[in-house]
Amino acid sequence: MNIKGSPWKGSLLLLLVSNLLLCQNVAPLPVCPGGAARCQVTLRDLFDRAVILSHYIHNLSSEMFSEFDKRYTHGRGFITRAINSCHTSSLPTPEDKEQAQQINQKDFLSLIVSILRSWNEPLYHLVTEVRGMEEAPEAILSKAVEIEEQTKRLLEGMELIVSQVHPETKENEIYPVWTGLPSLQMADEESRLSAYYNLLHCLRRDSHKIDNYLKLLKCRIIHNNNC
Amino acid sequence: MNWRPTGMDLWQLLLTLALAGSSDAFSGSEPTAAILSRASWSLQSVNPGLKTNSSKEPKFTKCRSPERETFSCHWTDAVHHGSKSLGPIQLFYTRRNIQEWTQEWKECPDYVSAGENSCYFNSSFTSVWIPYCIKLTSNGDTVDGKCFSVDEIVQPDPPIALNWTLLNVSLTGIHADIQVRWEAPPNADIQKGWMVLEYELQYKEVNETKWKMMDPILSTSVPVYSLKVDKEYEVRVRSKRRNSGNYGEFSEVLYVTLPQMNQFTCEEDFYFPWLLIIIFGIFGLTVMLFVFLFSKQQRIKMLILPPVPVPKIKGIDPDLLKEGKLEEVNTILAIHDSYKPEFHSDDSWVEFIELDIDEPDEKNEGSDTDRLLSSDHQKSHSNLGVKDGDSGRTSCYEPDILETDFNANNIHEGTSEVAQPQRLKGEADLLCLDQKNQNKSPYHDACPATQQSSVIQAEKNKPQPLPTDGAESTHQAAHIQLSNPSSLANIDFYAQVSDITPAGSVVLSPGQKNKAGMSQCDMHLEMVSLCQEDFIMDNAYFCEADAKKCIPVAPHIKVESHIEPSFNQEDIYITTESLTTTAGRPGTTEHIPGSEMPVPDYTSIHIVQSPQGLILNATALPLPGKEFLSSCGYVSTDQLNKIMP
Repeated sequence: MNIKGSPWKGSLLLLLVSNLLLCQNVAPLPVCPGGAARCQVTLRDLFDRAVILSHYIHNLSSEMFSEFDKRYTHGRGFITRAINSCHTSSLPTPEDKEQAQQINQKDFLSLIVSILRSWNEPLYHLVTEVRGMEEAPEAILSKAVEIEEQTKRLLEGMELIVSQVHPETKENEIYPVWTGLPSLQMADEESRLSAYYNLLHCLRRDSHKIDNYLKLLKCRIIHNNNC
Repeated sequence: MNWRPTGMDLWQLLLTLALAGSSDAFSGSEPTAAILSRASWSLQSVNPGLKTNSSKEPKFTKCRSPERETFSCHWTDAVHHGSKSLGPIQLFYTRRNIQEWTQEWKECPDYVSAGENSCYFNSSFTSVWIPYCIKLTSNGDTVDGKCFSVDEIVQPDPPIALNWTLLNVSLTGIHADIQVRWEAPPNADIQKGWMVLEYELQYKEVNETKWKMMDPILSTSVPVYSLKVDKEYEVRVRSKRRNSGNYGEFSEVLYVTLPQMNQFTCEEDFYFPWLLIIIFGIFGLTVMLFVFLFSKQQRIKMLILPPVPVPKIKGIDPDLLKEGKLEEVNTILAIHDSYKPEFHSDDSWVEFIELDIDEPDEKNEGSDTDRLLSSDHQKSHSNLGVKDGDSGRTSCYEPDILETDFNANNIHEGTSEVAQPQRLKGEADLLCLDQKNQNKSPYHDACPATQQSSVIQAEKNKPQPLPTDGAESTHQAAHIQLSNPSSLANIDFYAQVSDITPAGSVVLSPGQKNKAGMSQCDMHLEMVSLCQEDFIMDNAYFCEADAKKCIPVAPHIKVESHIEPSFNQEDIYITTESLTTTAGRPGTTEHIPGSEMPVPDYTSIHIVQSPQGLILNATALPLPGKEFLSSCGYVSTDQLNKIMP
């Protein structure tokens, strides 16, 4: 191209780059435009993607917990403290299969959404605090960042599912609030480590719950209990 | 029992922990539980050190939940030592309810269902995300303790109902593919999604020891490729919760016996014996080749193995070089302008040419060949010096003449087996003292007037009744180019051979002397030369007159009978008939008038039939459109080359 064509070339390049940048932020879950009569993505696909995300989040949580334990708290008896309640313990989550089968579909879905919402803030603070640590463990930090990201996307997907399955559901903003931030910032290393341990332990358990619940719901709603 | 001291230590530890736990920053809602848990945990860590004692304590061996709905724990039985009787072992458990930590230990609900030394918790007692703590007691003393959550101890049951089906068999019938199917363990609730399993398949040949493993798969059927048909295989499958937990036990072994295919069911194509054909073909070709090689059939031999032409310089016979006849080589090479051969003073050729005009009877006594071959160099030399004059000596250096002569000689030399060195020498032009061309055309100065000693001789070894002595059959007179007819006015170098004596001498008859000085002998000579087999080769040119001369002369020459239409090398004299036979071509304007017709001395070349020779036109020269020298109709090779392609 001659010199005269270079401005066009530059603008084309700019357009291309901007497209790429914009495309990056497109959520994997198809976002139905607000107010659209019906979504293009089927419920089956939504559930499939949700299960994939929840499974992924649970794996990350387990790995993160294992690394933390191995690095900081292994063999130091922290497990006993982790039996303490998590901030989501107040939610009436089914603890076994029978209970899960007894809960109705709508409540089930809203329960899941509540758990996801309640973890937004703790994850945000977790990332901030780990990043601010001296000698920040990169493995733990990267996983925490990823978990935060994926949890947001899973929440969006769940909201979509709810809007499809129960469109009349009014958005329920009630969810357990996490108050463990001060404990994460404690000066005492032992206490701080215990707080981290507890947080990660609870995260692993709740992610496992969400994964399990979604699989149950998927088989119930999509496959009619015949996965 | 050694347990007692540890029990004391335990309580001390608990007290210590109570103090420590009170200062915990954690929510103090469950200090007791924490202490208890910690105590249990410490117990577990302390116990290993205490296990060095000989007595075997009952310990938890394994707690397992196959489907996340029930679980069971097992422990080892106590070994009784001595008189210490071990009370009934009891298991107590506790679990943390929602926001409630009850210190209440409950006893195992079912000691039976899971077998001996086990405790079975059914689904009502099992909660997945609530941690459990259990402890083993004997006579009230805690023997062992453990804390866990159900998810940690999930270990699925093995799959059931393994079966296989044949997918396909390879074309060779050696390998086969099968599809192995199974069912999930029945107690794992797959349909509701409570459990998601992945499976691992292993297989091996029956007599092998090492199992081959496949990658984990989520479905309940998988193809196994490339099993050998003649071997028997074992297959087993185990399951595991996806991405967590441990593998369960292996399923029952499935035996796979592939059906033996009849390996001879392949189509029996006709096997073309290519190999045999190739072998026999090569053998036959080799036999034929050897037959040809060793056969005497020169023609076939030439056909199959054509002789490789040796490098040849035009006009030079390799034998010349071999024999070291430098003089001959020089004469031949003198064809080229740039090459001026040394002028040897001792021109031995002259010794053979003895112009003996004054001895007409010599022809009867001895052949001219003798004279030619006589070693009287001086005599011949002087003779030549006397008679030669300036007749044509300079003409010898003319390239055209030289070339033609040399070519003629060369051709002749090349084909004949000239062994007599004298022959080589004797070919010099009578007029050209330095010429040593060996013209096959037999020159005979049989003109009675000239009584040339030149003898025409067929140098060929063929027994030709040529007018030569058998010994000097190779004697040849040089073909003298008469560029200057006038020079011959005084000397008759050519004579007609009238007869051949039985002795082999040539009887020369007085030739017709024409005004040009070119006696009939010359014509005859030329004719004879014409009749030379040289004309077979290129550059052998002759006058048509000479050709005609051959006719009348032919009867006198016995060689006529030997003339063959094929003009092989044995022929010396060639009649016109034979000429026309071989050189017959359309358009040849050669016509042979009666021998009585006055034949012009010089004719032009009408057509050159290379390599047979030239057909000279009887018309007066020059031929339209063609340039010919005014010589006696003989055209040099160069001119020929210009004319003919």
